[in-house]
Amino acid sequence: MKDRLDAHILSEADNVATVLRAVKAGETLVISNRLIQVMEDIPLCHKLALGELVAGSAIVKYGAVIGNAKRLISTGEHVHVHNVESRRGKKK
Amino acid sequence: MTSSHFAGFERAQGRAGTRNHTLILSVTGLTTPTARRVADRLHGAIALGTPHGSGHLGHDAAIYQRCMKALASHPNVGAVVVIGADSMKIDPVVAAADAAGRFVTGLCLDDHGHDAILLADRAHRMAAGFIKELSKHKRQPIPLDQLALGLECGRSDPSSGLVANPLVGLTADAIVDAGGTAMIGETTEWLGAEMLLTNRAATPEIADAIGAAALRRERMAIDAGINLTYNNPSLTNIQAGLTTIEEKSLGAVAKSGSRPVQGLLDYGESPAGAGLWVMDAPAYAPDSLTGFTAAGCNLALFTTGVGNSYTSALMPTIKLTANTETAARLQCQLDFVAPDVFSGLENMDTAASRLLTQIVGTASGELTWGEILSDYDEVISRFGASL
Repeated sequence: MKDRLDAHILSEADNVATVLRAVKAGETLVISNRLIQVMEDIPLCHKLALGELVAGSAIVKYGAVIGNAKRLISTGEHVHVHNVESRRGKKK
Repeated sequence: MTSSHFAGFERAQGRAGTRNHTLILSVTGLTTPTARRVADRLHGAIALGTPHGSGHLGHDAAIYQRCMKALASHPNVGAVVVIGADSMKIDPVVAAADAAGRFVTGLCLDDHGHDAILLADRAHRMAAGFIKELSKHKRQPIPLDQLALGLECGRSDPSSGLVANPLVGLTADAIVDAGGTAMIGETTEWLGAEMLLTNRAATPEIADAIGAAALRRERMAIDAGINLTYNNPSLTNIQAGLTTIEEKSLGAVAKSGSRPVQGLLDYGESPAGAGLWVMDAPAYAPDSLTGFTAAGCNLALFTTGVGNSYTSALMPTIKLTANTETAARLQCQLDFVAPDVFSGLENMDTAASRLLTQIVGTASGELTWGEILSDYDEVISRFGASL
């Protein structure tokens, strides 16, 4: 079980990873040979930021854009509806 | 090694069946309670109906006609008792079932002195005779090209996009490669992932039609003034970890596998040939599944993340998940689980092979939990107001 991955990245272009178990603030995860410090509790299957994401920048998962950062997001932060905005269904 | 055949029911017209149901089909809202009473008193009969059988206008009317005829002549229906308020309502549906070579009778309230008890008794007796006849039919070896799969996802979580939907995609590829048919719908869940479909469209016209269908669906949400976030994805999806419709769509479209898209279907429209198709349809399971049923699909695969008990009445529906916790919790709901793929203990190809074996088993008569628990229905979608 110690070889089991903590988080999954679907594409090399992704800037978020999906945690494969609930993780706690302060944990250090090994993701793609990088050490990522978890900044806050993140539930199972939720996303965490692999690097800093400035406000307005694209969130990339599956190698595609899944939304924009609503504000600055730090490495290891939970990435979800509180800090990500969809680009679809918006009045032009 | 997976079989090249399943054990099914040959039909005089059209695709073979994975089931041989006797259907009590109410085509008007007035007679739907009667249909349920009749089926309740019979072994193995299925009651289907509509709360809205009259007052359809325009596109709604065309959809209703198409779907009712399709349910009455479905590959998995061997016999049907069509009941309705008047002969104008039942005659076209009876004719469709008759043309498809099914045992059929039509009964309307007008011809029974508007006496629902009398109508129910006659329907009961006719259906009983059909069930007796159908029980003599034996399953025959049927090649896999007679399978037409409806592919659905519901109450998804990120494990759906990571594992369950790609797994379904692999089996869709296998069935299409064997000469069969597969389809996805849920147009809202193409938003953000359109290129995954348009890149595989058989012609540029099909690619344009897919893109236009997605934009029309997006416009529906904008014109209604709703924010997609918390509608689709729903609260359930969001609590499970899906953040935006783009993220959900990229995971959802994986169900469609990798083969070329042969065309865009209207709601409940039957495809002109085999292969992979996409249907412009609502994303909610009852509406969505019936779109596939009416298109002639004879089996469904329905992935879930957190759990979803609903299935199609006429398409035996394999419920599957890759979520470890859900797989452990819902053992009388899930027909196939792949938690070991999620945790890295099983590879995708091995799981796909297992799923293909399950598909053949279910097609050949193994009951799904939805069938056993009667957790099923068919719901014809509505698009406008009634007159």
